[in-house]
Formats: sequence, C-alpha cells, structure tokens
Amino acid sequence: MTSRESALRSKRRAFFRASLRLLGGTAVARFMPGCGKTSNKGRGKITFGSYADPAQDVLKEVFLPEFERKTGIETEWIEADFSSWFQKAVNDGQTRAGAFDIYVLDDLWMPRFAGAGYLANLEELGFHPAADFVESALSLGYWPPKAGPRQVGIEPQARPTLFGLPLIGDVQLLFYRNDVYTGGPPATWDDVLRMAREKSDPAKRQYGWVTRGVKGNPVVNSYFVLLHTFGGQMFEENWKVAFNSPQAVEALEFFLRLLDYAPPGVAEFDSDQEGQTILQGNAFAATMWTGWCRQVDDLAKSRVAGKISFSVPPKKVKQVAKLGLFMAGIAASATNKKGALEFFNWFHSSAIQTEFARAGGTPSMVSAFKDEQACRKSRWLPETLKALSMGVPSPRTADWYKIEDILGTALNQVLIEKGNCKRHLDAAASEATAFLKGAGYSVG
Amino acid sequence: MEEAGAAMSSDVPTSSGRSPRRNEKNATVSVDSRTLIGGKSGQKPGERPVGTTTRRRLFSFVPWVLLAPTVLFALALTILPLAYAVLTSLRSFRFGQPLGFIGLQNYFGLFRDPHFYSSLGTTLTFTIAATTFEFVLGMMLALLLKEEFPWQGLIRSCLMIPMIIAPVVVGIVWRLLYSSDVGLLSYALQWLTGHPISVLSNPSLALPGIILVDIWEWTPFMFLILLAGIQSLPQEPFEAARVDGAGPWATFRHLTLPMLRPVIVVALLIRALDAFTVFDQVFVLTQGGPGMATEVSTLMVYKTAFRFSQIGYAAAMAIALLVLVWALSAAVVRSLQVQTHRQ
Repeated sequence: MTSRESALRSKRRAFFRASLRLLGGTAVARFMPGCGKTSNKGRGKITFGSYADPAQDVLKEVFLPEFERKTGIETEWIEADFSSWFQKAVNDGQTRAGAFDIYVLDDLWMPRFAGAGYLANLEELGFHPAADFVESALSLGYWPPKAGPRQVGIEPQARPTLFGLPLIGDVQLLFYRNDVYTGGPPATWDDVLRMAREKSDPAKRQYGWVTRGVKGNPVVNSYFVLLHTFGGQMFEENWKVAFNSPQAVEALEFFLRLLDYAPPGVAEFDSDQEGQTILQGNAFAATMWTGWCRQVDDLAKSRVAGKISFSVPPKKVKQVAKLGLFMAGIAASATNKKGALEFFNWFHSSAIQTEFARAGGTPSMVSAFKDEQACRKSRWLPETLKALSMGVPSPRTADWYKIEDILGTALNQVLIEKGNCKRHLDAAASEATAFLKGAGYSVG
Repeated sequence: MEEAGAAMSSDVPTSSGRSPRRNEKNATVSVDSRTLIGGKSGQKPGERPVGTTTRRRLFSFVPWVLLAPTVLFALALTILPLAYAVLTSLRSFRFGQPLGFIGLQNYFGLFRDPHFYSSLGTTLTFTIAATTFEFVLGMMLALLLKEEFPWQGLIRSCLMIPMIIAPVVVGIVWRLLYSSDVGLLSYALQWLTGHPISVLSNPSLALPGIILVDIWEWTPFMFLILLAGIQSLPQEPFEAARVDGAGPWATFRHLTLPMLRPVIVVALLIRALDAFTVFDQVFVLTQGGPGMATEVSTLMVYKTAFRFSQIGYAAAMAIALLVLVWALSAAVVRSLQVQTHRQ
C-alpha cells in the first residue's frame, strides 16, 4: 500500500468516525428534551387537514399548542386552498389512506363526506354533545339531516347520526357603515336600497352596496339570503325546484336594483374583492361572512376601522341568515381516533369554547357567545349568535354542487345582462330538475 | 472484428488469449448486434464457435432485460392510468362510489350534452387563437433578436421571465390588472374609451382577456424554440441568396420558413397541446364565467369529477378529449410531413 492510499484510508476512517459521532449526537439531542417531562409525552399525534382561512388562526396558534400541553398528544395542521383541500380530503376518504385524523370541512361538504362513509360516527365513538351547542350549528353535523327533504337513497326513517361538529361558527352578517346608517342598522332591504340611492356617489367611488357575482358558489351565496328573505326557497319538501318561484324572481329583481348602486364589474367579484371594497371604505353595506369581522377593525388592513357595524341581514317577508360553518369530523380511516375524540371532547367543552371566544375565535356554544369578556373582544358576537339562531344552511344533499353550478351560472348571466331574471331562472330550474330526475330523485 | 467480438462478449479471456479490455476503442467502432449476443462474427475462421446455443439464448434476453425498467416505467405511469381511465369511463359512480358497469352510456350522454360542445368550442377557439398569436409574435422576436447586439443576453433573459412564473401566479397578477375597480388595464381602457370596461365580466371580452394572458406567458417559449432553430440553420444558403440579391422577405419566405418547418411543427404542437389543456388561468381569472364564456373543457372535467363527483362521466370526457387531441395532432403532423415531402 502506497503512502497516498494509506492517507486516503485514514481520512475515510476519520470521516466515518465523525459521521458516527454526529449521528450519535443527533440521537441524544433528539431524546434530551424529553427528559423530565410529564408522563403525557408520547400519546401519539393527530393530523388535521383543512382549507386555509384566517378564521382558524386562533385555533392553530393558541389552542392546538394548549391542547398538546394539556394532553401530550401532538398535533399537526396541514392546509391547502379551499378547492385543493376538498380534493385531498375526498381522495383520502375514498382511498381510506388515513393521512388525516380530523377533516375540517365546509358545512356544505357534510352530506358528501358523511353520506359516503368518509367520517366516523361520533356517537359510536362515545361523543355526547352538550346542550350548550347552538342548535342550528350542531344540526349541520348530523346525517341524514334532522329536517328538510332527504337525499335520494336515504330511507325516511333513517335516524340522524352525529358525524361532525362545528369548529368555527361562521354565518353571513350585514356589514354596514355606522357613519352612513346613523340611525342603526337597516331594518328592511328597502332601507338598504333607499340609503344606497341617496348616498351612492360613483364619481367618488362611494357605493351603496357590494356583493359577490362570480358564477357558482359566490353568486349563489349572495342571492341565498335575499331569496329566503323574500319568502322563497331552493327546493320544496319533495325536491321540487323552487328557485324560479315568483318570490325568487322578485328577490332577483331586487338584487339587480341593488346592483345599480354597486361598483362596476361586480359580476366578477369574489369574496376578496367584496371584502376589499368594504375595507377600503368604498361601499356602505354588504352581507359577508363573520371571518371578515376582525379585519374591519385592523388598522393595517382597513380604512374604516370602527366605522363598520354588524347586524343580522335585514327583513323583507322574514329575516334569515346564511349558515356557512367550518365543521370538523373524525376520518373513518383515522389512525388515531382516540386522540381525535379527545380533542373534540376538550375543544367542545363550554370552558374552552369561552376561552376560544375570549381569544378572538368564533365559538359554537351559546355560553361562549354570551361571555362579556368575549363580547368586549369581539363586538360582533351577539349579532353572530342571533344570525346563527335564525340561520338557513345550503340544501342538505351531496348533489347541491351541481345545482349550485347550474343556478350560479344563471345568476351570473342575469348580472351580466342586467335583466331576464325569469327566463334565466326558469332555464336553470328546468336543467336542475332534469339533473335531479336523472340522479334518481322523485321530484314532485 | 476479432478484438471487437471478444471485447463485447465478456471479460473472460478469448481463445486468442488476449485481454478483452485492450481494444475497447476498436470494439466500439466495429461491434454489431450479432457480437452483442455472442454471434459468430467474434470468432476466427475455422475455430469452434465460442457462443453455444445455450449462451446465445441466454444473451438473447439481455436487450429485454435492459429495456424492462423503461417499459415497466412507461406501463406504470402511462398505460395503466390510461387503461384505468378508460375502465372508469365505462362505469357509473355515485358520490365517488362505483355503482357498476354501464357500457358506453357516459359517452352517449356526452354526445348529447350541449355544455360539452360549448366548452369544446371555447377550448378550440382558445387554442387556435393563443397558439397562432404566440407563433407569430415568437417568430418576430426570434428574427429580431437572432443577431448579435449589446445587452443581448439581458434582453433574452428578461423575455423568459413570464414563462418561468407559475401559471396560478400569472392568473392572480392578471386578475389584479383586469380588476374593474383597481386594475391598471381597466383604468387604461377607461381612459382610452371614456367609459368603464370590465374585461372579465364581459362575455365578449373575457375569453380574449384570457388568451392575452396566455400569449403574454407563452410567447417566450415559442421565441426560444424558434430562435434555437434559426441559429442552427446552415448559413451557406443564406449567403448564396444574399449574393443572388434576395431581399429579407424573399429570404424568409423561401429559405428560413421551409428550412425551419420541422422546428415550427414541434413548437406549434407542443404549444397547441399545452393550450388545449389550459386550466390554471381560467380557474383563477373567471371560474369559467361570465356565464359559460370561458368554460374550457379541462375546467368542465375538473368540476364534473371533483365537485359533482360524476367520476365516470368526467373520465369519459377526458378520454373523448384525448382522442380528439390525438386525432388533430396526427392530422397536423401528417399534413406538414406531406408538404415537406413534396418540397
């Protein structure tokens, strides 16, 4: 062996030894922090899958670490944008991959996930809902639904079972400028129209109303409250399409009248543009999700801090709000169902819900909404509770997406053409009826 | 041949007693396929054959073994998913759960679906318009920037920027530009026309608006391929043309364009196939609206599969699109090949 080969060998040995030392050191360092901790350590991990939304920040940043500290169960939060998360969750449910223990779901997804068996039965797992839950919020977690027509294939006598729990009590509120509506919130939709007519000034970019007009879910959500307020509904008890009824047409015509006082191009507006129009002080009123409430008082984001108040959407024939809760369910394929259930029991206790509300979260229990400290921190909580109590959810069928797409396209067309309400609603109703019949519904 | 045959058969010394490694250089030059499988060309005349039948059989598997990873890879990544998609298109699904085999019903439903035809028309309009403009602009840029000039590298690099931005980000940027309240383009259009124009909520302007985004993003790709093609052309014909007094237009028409034809075919095909599957920009900018004005086929497939959970129907749509794209591509390639052959 030459001296060069020998030197190389000794270098290799030295490298090998150094690598071993490094590995050993890393292993020791990995276990060192565990020394002296409570016996809670190592009780497994629960993985949350969710869509990204700032409304969940308090939960992620404050309450999950608190849960970890209290129980020793690690948590992991994986999120994606709304559409991507829906796909991921559906894939996980369908393939039973078990990548997630808890799915965070839009309440609209409950029929799809519970109906297809992607969610574990919470009653079987041993969860008993407290009486303190806001009833309308908790009812969204049941499948089949407690009220309303039932999706095709579900027996009329099938017992509603709990598959999901409300995570964030989101609902649509009327956001209005208190320096314009000086006498308090508008009592009726006619008041909103009147004020818009009087105070709108497009030259100064001041509009009486702003809404979402993009086809599909956004424009349907905007129209939903008006439809119900005017006495209309999406379906009758037997799934007969009702969104082309005289009340529905009247509601849509009123919607168009409001749009005369909305910013140009509202037919392309989604939630972000609607919210920005309010935050920049360019519109006096809008129905928006409670997720925006905190931002209107944030000086870094809002030009109208303190000038926006909140109320339940105004009345016409009746007063309703649109529910849009963040739900959570335990995946049927979850690897740590026990840990997930422990989280539900912990987070959905009245005490933690009150803490959650005091920290700025939107709770789902009545006592938390009524907590004085929480209401001082989040001034919209009393109105949110009222809105939740009179809230109407989207129709409880997994086929709603298709109907929403059909109706959403028609509504978008009406906004663009600024007319032809009856014609477009009738066409959408015919298409929706044909689809429902094809899907096996005995449309009345 | 002697050394070559020995060298390629194995490391075992040959009957000539020479080490097979000595003449590797020669071996690479003169080896043929028979030597690879231990054929007779590696022997001296009159000598007993080194490769027996067993050995020949053994070596006959070598090409297959070498090809196997690639074939398996292709099977796993291309053929199997495609076969699965075809099978899926023949089944009925309800909320993601398979209900059973329904034959060609999904396809029959597709041919009766007016929305499918509408989305197909939108997709074809988008593809043809975007690819044509990108080709013309890309060619103009390539001709302009093919010569040496100061800051050439910097300018070419700047032109590449749109192409390296993720399509979703491009969509978001252009959504802000088109925004009817704060958008720069909307402001410019209002300044030019005197009244507010909202591109994305106007059924006549929304699709051209998305085409413009695609042109902005993908013209650099066309430019890059065409520039590479132009720079690789032999200079002699151009010098001869110059001597003969041919002008720039005649040189372009009778020399550059015909000689560049294979490159053009590849560039057009790649861009057209990519444009046919546009999704991100449409999803971010309009969600298919206003009305059905920008509802392209891929968006329809996506919604049908992931929102409406009609997986079988979505698979049928995807297969129909695949067949259509394949047929169109084959027709384009064939017609261009025929033209090249004639020339």
